[in-house]
This record gives sequence, C-alpha cells and structure tokens, in this order.
Amino acid sequence: MNIVIIILAALALTFGIIMVLQNTQLRRLTLKLKEYETKPRPVQVSEPTVAQLEAKLKSSYEAKIGEATQSFGTDLQATSQKLSEQVSRLTTTVIEEELEAYHQTLEEVRHVATQAMDQIHQAIEHQRVELRQGMESELAAEKKQLAAKFDAKMGDIVSSYISESLGSGVDLGAQMQFILQSLEAHKDDIRKDLTGEV
Amino acid sequence: MKFELPAAVYSPQLLESVIYDVQYYLDWTRQNDIRKQMGVAVKEEPNHSAETVLVIEAWLNGKPATLEALEELLDYLKGLKLPEVHITLAALPNRNQRETLVKWFRNNAKSQLLLSFVADRNLGGGIVIRTPNRIFDYTWKRQLVENRDKIAEITRRV
Repeated sequence: MNIVIIILAALALTFGIIMVLQNTQLRRLTLKLKEYETKPRPVQVSEPTVAQLEAKLKSSYEAKIGEATQSFGTDLQATSQKLSEQVSRLTTTVIEEELEAYHQTLEEVRHVATQAMDQIHQAIEHQRVELRQGMESELAAEKKQLAAKFDAKMGDIVSSYISESLGSGVDLGAQMQFILQSLEAHKDDIRKDLTGEV
Repeated sequence: MKFELPAAVYSPQLLESVIYDVQYYLDWTRQNDIRKQMGVAVKEEPNHSAETVLVIEAWLNGKPATLEALEELLDYLKGLKLPEVHITLAALPNRNQRETLVKWFRNNAKSQLLLSFVADRNLGGGIVIRTPNRIFDYTWKRQLVENRDKIAEITRRV
C-alpha cells in the first residue's frame, strides 16, 4: 500500500513538474508572440518581387487616377451644366424682375409726368383765360374812355360850331315845331316818368 | 270841383310869388277887418299880380272872398308838392312859347306840375327836359354828336 501511495505520489510529482515546465514554456511563447506583435520584424522581399510589386502598384495607381480623373471630369461637367442652368435661370429671373420693376417705375413716372402736364395745361389755360379777360376788360375800358373823350371833344366842337354859327340870333319860334314834334314823339316816356308809371 | 293851378302859374317862382301875394292879401284883410271894427280908415286894397288874381278867382269859383276861404287857399298853396320839370332851350321862350310848352306838358304829361326855363345857346336848337328822375335830351347838339359818323362821312365826301 505504501508503495502504491509512493508510486502515486511520484506520479503526481512528475505530473506536477511536467505542468510547471509546460506552463513556463507557454509563458515564454506568449511573451515572444507579444513581442512579435509589438515589434514587427522587417520582411525580406526579393528584387524581382519588388519590381513586380512596384509595377502592379504603378498600374493600379494609374488606373485609380484615371478613374478619379474621369469621375471628376464627369462630375465637373454635370456641375458646370447645373451651374450654367442655375446661372441662366437666375439671370433670367433677375432680368425679368428688374424689367418688371423698371416698367413699374416707368409707368409711375409716366403717370406723374402726365399729371404734371395736365396741371401745367390747366394752369396755362387758367392763365390764358384770366389774361384774355383782363385784356378784354382793359380794352373795353380804354374803348369806353376813348369814346367818352371823343364824345366830349365832339360835343365841344359842335357847341363851338353852333355858337359861332348862330351867333346871338337864335330863333326859338322857328324851332317850336321841331320841339313839339320831339315832345310828341316821346310823350309816353315823359308822362310815365312824371306820373311814376312803370 | 277839384281846384287846379291855372296854366299861368307854371313855375316855382310864380307859385312863390302867388303865395306871397295871397299872404299879403290875407294880412291886409285881417288888418282891414280890425280897422273897420275900430272905426279907423281902411287901407287901399293891395295890387296883385295877374297870376294871383287868376288863382284866387279859380279858388273862390264865384264865392265871396272870406277870410276862411283865403286861409284855406294859402294852406293849400303852401302844402302843394308838385313835380318840377326844368326845361333848357337855345334861348329863353317868350310868353306865347312858354304858354304853348306849359299847356303841352299839362295836357300830355301831368296836369299839375311846375316848369322852369333855362337858356343855353350851345344847344343850337331843340329841348332838354330834366324831370326828377331823368333827362330827356332832344337837342340839335345831341343829334349831331350821336350822328358823328355822318359828320366824318360827310367830311370825307367833301
């Protein structure tokens, strides 16, 4: 029995030692792996491979650049077209709005000018009428004044002529017929005035 | 019968003269009555103008000349308000011409009115009648002035 136990103990000890050893190795491998991960080791590539890789890389790069250029060109064309359309649309709208505003302003100016012209015409007409009335009244007054002056002058001339022609020899008897005829001709007027008839 | 001023009394001056005469005659009549009552010699009856005689006769119309009748006449004459017409002629009219004109006015215009006459040689001929409201000018001078166009025409023609 003791032997068995001893054997078992020896086995267990052996197993234990093996476990410790394996564990130690595992730990070392883990550390190495970590070390490889943190510090990559330079890859050693051969010259032909490098040349091949460079050629591939170059062709791939050129292809990508070509694609990008083509794509950029397409985008640029579309953008330019859109931009052109937008500019055209904006320009048309702005011009239309400006033209509308211009027409409106022009209409307002025309309306104001028409009103001003109407007022000027009215003022001129009013002035013309006033001037004409004033001139007519002045002319009438002057005409009346001249006629009165002429009458007075003519009266003086006639009086002087009569006085000088007749001298002192006025024959009233010869005039009585004329006087009575004048009275008869205006009898109604004289009677109406004296009797107060209308 | 309604009293009418005789045609001989045609002017305001004549009417004033008649009123003065009637007043004087009335005063004489009163004084004469007193003198008679007192037994004093009466004064001679005053002379009147022909117009005054005509007025008194027309007023009394055959009735006796009493003091009351004369007083009434005087009051009537003083209260008379007759329209006055001023007549201007080329010369002053004589008696006949005045009477003709007065008769014409009293027969054709108004029976009771007063006329005054003025002379203006410058009229040449015709008559100017100035009533209270208007002036009627029927003179030669007026006709000549009104037809002045004819004067100019005749002057040009001659």
